[in-house]
Amino acid sequence: MSSNLHQAGVKLLRLLGRHAELVMDTYLGGSIDEAKLEPGTVKKLTDNGILWRPEPGEPLRLSRNVRALLEDGLKDERNRQINANVGSALATIKTLASHYREARASVDYSAAEAYLADLSEQVYSFTENLRYSIRVLWGRINNEFGYVGSISAKIRENELAQSQVSELLNGLEMIEFHDLGELAGDIRELRRLLVTSLQETLSSCAQELSVVQGRLLELLGRFRKIQGRTRLLKGWLLYTDLHPDYEVADHVAHKQIPSLFNQAQSLLAPAAVDVHNPQHEPQLLALVAGIKAISRENLPQHAVQQAQPVAVIAAEAFDIPDNPLKQAVEEYFCAVIDSGRNQSALQYLESQQLPWDAESWLFQVIGGFEGLSDEHKQFFELEPLGEVHPIYSGNFIIRDVEVGLR
Amino acid sequence: MSEIIAHGELIERLLRGEFICRTTCEEGWRALKNPATRDRVEAYLNQINRTVAHAAEGEVFFCGYVNLGDNERKLISAQFREICQSLIPLVEWLVLVQEASGQDAPLTEGAPVRLTELQSRIEDTPAFREQLAKLSQYRLFGSSSSSVDGQIKLVFKRLVELGYLLRPNPEKQIYLATGKLDYLYEVIRFIDETESLSLEAQAETASQRDLL
Repeated sequence: MSSNLHQAGVKLLRLLGRHAELVMDTYLGGSIDEAKLEPGTVKKLTDNGILWRPEPGEPLRLSRNVRALLEDGLKDERNRQINANVGSALATIKTLASHYREARASVDYSAAEAYLADLSEQVYSFTENLRYSIRVLWGRINNEFGYVGSISAKIRENELAQSQVSELLNGLEMIEFHDLGELAGDIRELRRLLVTSLQETLSSCAQELSVVQGRLLELLGRFRKIQGRTRLLKGWLLYTDLHPDYEVADHVAHKQIPSLFNQAQSLLAPAAVDVHNPQHEPQLLALVAGIKAISRENLPQHAVQQAQPVAVIAAEAFDIPDNPLKQAVEEYFCAVIDSGRNQSALQYLESQQLPWDAESWLFQVIGGFEGLSDEHKQFFELEPLGEVHPIYSGNFIIRDVEVGLR
Repeated sequence: MSEIIAHGELIERLLRGEFICRTTCEEGWRALKNPATRDRVEAYLNQINRTVAHAAEGEVFFCGYVNLGDNERKLISAQFREICQSLIPLVEWLVLVQEASGQDAPLTEGAPVRLTELQSRIEDTPAFREQLAKLSQYRLFGSSSSSVDGQIKLVFKRLVELGYLLRPNPEKQIYLATGKLDYLYEVIRFIDETESLSLEAQAETASQRDLL
């Protein structure tokens, strides 16, 4: 019998191994499209209880046990299933313990041994299951329900976890060690299994669960705070939208001003470092170090300009319009040449009724004279007429100039 | 006396009207969390009719008055009016940042905001662009720019000036929310509770209506 079981188990595991890809695809995808598979494979997998069909016409899914194996083995955090059914496990344990006692009493040692093995298996799997549940809960707490996106989903997940914790705790309360002790009686093996080991595990689990519960409540509080703030902001916008003429009441008009609004006017302007205080030296040094040196040497080279086609053509003729004042001065010089006599610039200005201001006229005449080339300059003579400044020596005030031929 | 010098910066910040939180000034925040140093700072401030006030469950500190005379009352009510006027623009901004970055939680102290990321998200979504354009024109921000870039940069610059944001590295466009935002939530909560506006309930029914 046992060798048969052994063989069948190995066969089942081999089957799983052979279709590992398919099993994982189904695990991740939830279901599998059997059109892609060979009918023989599908039949083998369904016959062995690896895949199953929940409803006719539905796609094939992974069976619960294989899923649980993978979730546990992969420490997949999406696993939220917690087996909180302490009652039935406890009933099984009690039943098996009674079987064992009976077999012992009737001196059927082989049967007693088999029952004891079964019982240990039950007890250990029960405690393992409990520890596993707590591990799952911690995993969810530690990543703050990171597998769901929104805060409200996190709150719902948290509430689910809390209900699971209280179910587990309620289940643990059902275990009466007094009953178990009576059941174990004075049989050493039973006492070890049912009282010592179970009690130790359960008390540590119960302790851990209460810590879990505390953390869950703390997280819930934080989530609710965040959610509350979001709602507060949204509500504020909603309210001010609905009541456009709403104004906040004057909460500071009361005799007792809420401490929240008791905020003093700023009193200080920003202070500066005192350059005469040697104690401020480090601050000054830090300031100087903070000054950025601008170095133009490391500036990126300007991109070489692209060559432009150069056309060699005759330069267009252009002329600069002459300044009329300058032209008038030239005419004045010509008049001097024509007449051959010395002539006062201001008199010329007046006689020709030129529109310029006397001072700018004189400046232009002097400038025109100085601007002549040396060759031409030697033909003319410019005689400034004016007087020495009455107070400040070395200043000569020009009232008029006279230009003549040399 | 040397201890007072050690907390000189902290006292200066308080007197400048700044909010002290873990993000803006961790050292000062620790000093105020410690009852002994807090008492010393308090004693110093008391001499000029100031006191260390706190908000947001003792995580944010600021400077308040000990005795309230007519003058102080006037200042406080002017400040209160200022806060009330800035509530709507600030809340709109908070909601915009939260929605544009797709987060569940609104900004709280210490939360980073990456300006370039936020900007590209706002630029890509016409509704966010509209919201930004609307809120940047409030007097609090006073933007006249028509580009998202100009608007958002100005809004962030103003928020840094007002102390709601902190820019730890001037070369990077990463900002941190300060405790002053937590203070702001408390102000809204206070108004909500004292005026019985039941803002949260309204928002909840509105969101449930949206779901339906």
